[in-house]
Amino acid sequence: MSYILPIGPYHPALEEPIHAKLYTEGEIIKDAEVFVGYNHRGIEKLCTERNAIQTLVLVERVCGICSHSHALTYALGVEQINGLEVPKRGAYIRVITAELERLHSHFLWLGIACHIIGHDSMFMHIWDERELVMDLLEKLSGNRVNYAMVTIGGSRRDIDDDLRREILDGCDKLKAPLDRIVELAVNDKTIAMRTKGVGVLTREDAVRLGALGPHARASGVKIDVRKDSPYSCYEDFDFDVPVVDSGDVYARVVVRALECYESIKIIRQALENLPEGPINLGTKLPKIKEGMAVTRHEAPRGQLTYMVIGDGGFNNYRVSAHVPSYKNTPTVPHMLRGNTVADAGLIIASIDPCFSCLDR
Amino acid sequence: MQEYKKTMIGKDQIVPIAERMRKNEVWLTMIHAFVTKEGQIEVCYDYQVEPNIESYHVVGETVLPSIGGIYDVAAEWPEREINELFGVTFEGLDVSQRLFLPEDMLETQGKGQIMVTPLSELRKKNREEAGQQ
Repeated sequence: MSYILPIGPYHPALEEPIHAKLYTEGEIIKDAEVFVGYNHRGIEKLCTERNAIQTLVLVERVCGICSHSHALTYALGVEQINGLEVPKRGAYIRVITAELERLHSHFLWLGIACHIIGHDSMFMHIWDERELVMDLLEKLSGNRVNYAMVTIGGSRRDIDDDLRREILDGCDKLKAPLDRIVELAVNDKTIAMRTKGVGVLTREDAVRLGALGPHARASGVKIDVRKDSPYSCYEDFDFDVPVVDSGDVYARVVVRALECYESIKIIRQALENLPEGPINLGTKLPKIKEGMAVTRHEAPRGQLTYMVIGDGGFNNYRVSAHVPSYKNTPTVPHMLRGNTVADAGLIIASIDPCFSCLDR
Repeated sequence: MQEYKKTMIGKDQIVPIAERMRKNEVWLTMIHAFVTKEGQIEVCYDYQVEPNIESYHVVGETVLPSIGGIYDVAAEWPEREINELFGVTFEGLDVSQRLFLPEDMLETQGKGQIMVTPLSELRKKNREEAGQQ
């Protein structure tokens, strides 16, 4: 029997609003469509009325999870137009914040994935460990979200020796729980049964549809802007880009779990080799020179791209943000086809979608 | 170091460039648009030819060929967004459903006017509409 099953925009399996129409034959999904735009706030338009410092505050509020990524990528754009070179210490602090953000984002997603598959004890365990990262972010920035660590020309807050030791200790404390999480993610039968072979995106489809971030890397595509086009001193750090070939939800779990090790590796190197010197250029309120820049940052969910245009005044002439969910969400119908209705929520969630980011 | 290489092209070059990039497995980073100081719409096709971005700009055209047949949804979504916010028509693109704007805005002057109209005018219009209710 054929029928159309609507999911969302408000649904218990969805953390944010999206509407999906599933065209089913019995419990098998034959085709699907997704509809977005329930969170559109006109942020790009608002940017045209704001100066660079105000824009940092605004773009941090595009998303509550990857707020630092938005501010960082926008700042890189203004700095490129104005020809500003960020002091190395400031760039390292940006990287430390970005990797802590990736850790908390991946822990958050791994927990949610466990919750959706009904493994709630694992969900609580992972979110408990995530608090360690949240505490470090709070000590670093004063906030659990919207860290306000970025300014034009560097970072806003320094890391003193005490904080440096505290974050390094935090990385040590994370090691054991992360080992347990990875062990469970890779070997737990419940997780494997619900995720292996589910929501497959082949390498060919990932390339054709332009998938990004851990979603693409779980389909065997080695794409990571930190390696492909280094920025903010990422070239100084030794780290790997985990890639898994199977393209299913299981691969997305494994890739994100393994990426946590790499983030800890980067944070450790950045803290151990934190350069001396200023953290920013002392830039107050800059005029944005006439020009255009497109800058990219590997946010937790994949490549985040900002286009910034200046016309010589204080305000942006135009800002455009393209987020990883913009590229990953349209791949969802391809992954849903041939799967059961019961797995639809998990498959949609497996790209770690952020509709606040997507809609802007 | 990320570099940005900009090239101005005519609209007849959009498809051949997209085909060449797709053949080389180059990611379409984004398609975005803005209104120039002269009031013309400039549409930019950004490809990540690592480690750089190669950007191809078309200016002053309101009808462009769609590259959805080459880059699938990776191109269709940004094209639909530009259609909604700037009013550029992409030949062959299905725009029967909304992407970001509410349905009621598609039926009114909202479509194609959002990024073109100054924010102050949009606010004034909102206030007037609210006053009428």
